[in-house]
Amino acid sequence: MIETLIGLAAMMLLSFVRIPIALSMGIVGVVGYAYMRDWNWAPAFAMAQTQIYETGRNYTLSVVPLFILMGTFVARAGMAEELFRAAYAFLGHRKGGLAMATVVAAAGFGGPCGSSIATAATMAKVAYPSLKRFGYADYLSTGSIAAGGTLGILIPPSTMMVIYGIITQTNIALLFAAGMLPGLLATVLLCVAVRYMVWRDPAAGPPGERTPWPERWKALRGIGAITALFAFSIGGIFVGLFTATEGAGVGAFVSMAFALWRRSLTWRTLYDSLVEGARTTSMIFLILIGALMFGEFVNITSMPGDLKAFVGRFALHPFMVVAAIMVIYVLLGTAMEELSMILLTLPVFFPIIVHLGLDPVWFGILIVCVVEIGLISPPVGMNLFVLSTLIPEVPTRTVFRGVMPFVLIDCVRLAILVAFPIISTWLPSLMK
Amino acid sequence: MKRWEEIADATLGFAASAILFVMMALTFADVVSRYVFNAPLRGAFEVTELMLLVLIFAGLPLVSHADEHVTMDFIDKLLWPGAIAVLERVVQAVCAGIMFLLTWQVWLKAGKIASYADTTDVMRIPVAPFVYFMAAMIGLTGLVHFYRVFVPSRRRAAQAST
Repeated sequence: MIETLIGLAAMMLLSFVRIPIALSMGIVGVVGYAYMRDWNWAPAFAMAQTQIYETGRNYTLSVVPLFILMGTFVARAGMAEELFRAAYAFLGHRKGGLAMATVVAAAGFGGPCGSSIATAATMAKVAYPSLKRFGYADYLSTGSIAAGGTLGILIPPSTMMVIYGIITQTNIALLFAAGMLPGLLATVLLCVAVRYMVWRDPAAGPPGERTPWPERWKALRGIGAITALFAFSIGGIFVGLFTATEGAGVGAFVSMAFALWRRSLTWRTLYDSLVEGARTTSMIFLILIGALMFGEFVNITSMPGDLKAFVGRFALHPFMVVAAIMVIYVLLGTAMEELSMILLTLPVFFPIIVHLGLDPVWFGILIVCVVEIGLISPPVGMNLFVLSTLIPEVPTRTVFRGVMPFVLIDCVRLAILVAFPIISTWLPSLMK
Repeated sequence: MKRWEEIADATLGFAASAILFVMMALTFADVVSRYVFNAPLRGAFEVTELMLLVLIFAGLPLVSHADEHVTMDFIDKLLWPGAIAVLERVVQAVCAGIMFLLTWQVWLKAGKIASYADTTDVMRIPVAPFVYFMAAMIGLTGLVHFYRVFVPSRRRAAQAST
């Protein structure tokens, strides 16, 4: 037990002085492994060699670059405009309708995109000018963009789920399926938050013009392509038409072809997308290798057994344990960068979840939710920074104020998902 | 960025992006071939595996060069600029050291694989050259970090994985 805690502390310390987290985990993993073998370095280095080689040469992991690529292509294909127009056609005439349309469009875009930051950045470009034109208060506009953006990692595919799935060896296809209903729930709840804000301050979100039905159908046809892409690649994985890797490959290829056909992707941007995808892949795999080395060390310590004894001694109810972990994450998430937070804590928390006999897929969805909350909770939230950068005329204070109701409603959603695991586990249970 | 730096970055970037493109196209072709012609591509599986390996490690020097590794940046708020600059160099030196250590280890692994002439199952592609390539790329990454000890990068990249 004590050696794992020292290991964790060492990892925190190394990360704190800005050693890349991947390397901090790797260093502690290898040194710790050697220590557990009475300072015998040969098995530690053999472990390092194996982890590097086998992580690199692993067919299932080729899902990572392909989904990342699909997200990059979707982000560049410029389908966000159509999504926003369609959502506006149906919601625009309501109070706060434009803000709700922003949330719904972000959900539609964030599905295939898979990255929260990219979704928020895209929606800032697409939705903010309209919100401004219709006289929406800046705090409502930026709040709904930041919060809507987080849906990118909840609605499948999602880079966060891929990272979680790999580190904890949880089936990625099941995680994707599990994210669907919570994603819908989140979208609805964010719209509720918009309604609440407009109820408090009607001037913040005036209704737009009503769109006649023929126009609505036309707008709906505009999003046919992105819907088909999403349904085909993700639906294909759900119904077992192809594996996660194949779905990712098909999704990436089809979105590329579509974007090239629409001329929103030039050969130049195609090349940029590929380089970006390659870099992100390398970055994630280095983290993965580091995390696996650290995991190997934790596995040979007494930590897993001690935790078992600890939870047994206090006879804690599993849901109390999960609730406590979630509170810790929400608090940590206000101040920490979310990916680091998850990578540093998962080696400790995940074995507890497994020991308690809880569903790792369900826990994965909860993890994604705390990351989402962390992304928009001041003072340190990546989505807020992205908005401050892209919309510099809105002061940070306003962005912070506007996002608070959404942070609260996201916490409510997290509580609902903790209390009712069935929302996350029902769809995956149909796949097994 | 100096001219040679740009060229090196672009060359490796082109190689990595070409691999990624082929990987995607191959996966797509494999699925189409299986469903339309009822004949999956022979060996697509293992070719994808080896391409993933090349992709990851060819991209690694690029990530280090662009300073895109995930780091915690609390300390930036606590230290004064001069101290951050010094710390930056120390961190780069540590990274370089670790990368060189890993280069040596992966090189040993490559030697082992070469000694029993490991090949892939279907297409009988020898594996060892790929592992030597891994070692070379990790070594190159170490050189990038070593270079950064003396020539720090100007920007801190935003982290785009979440």
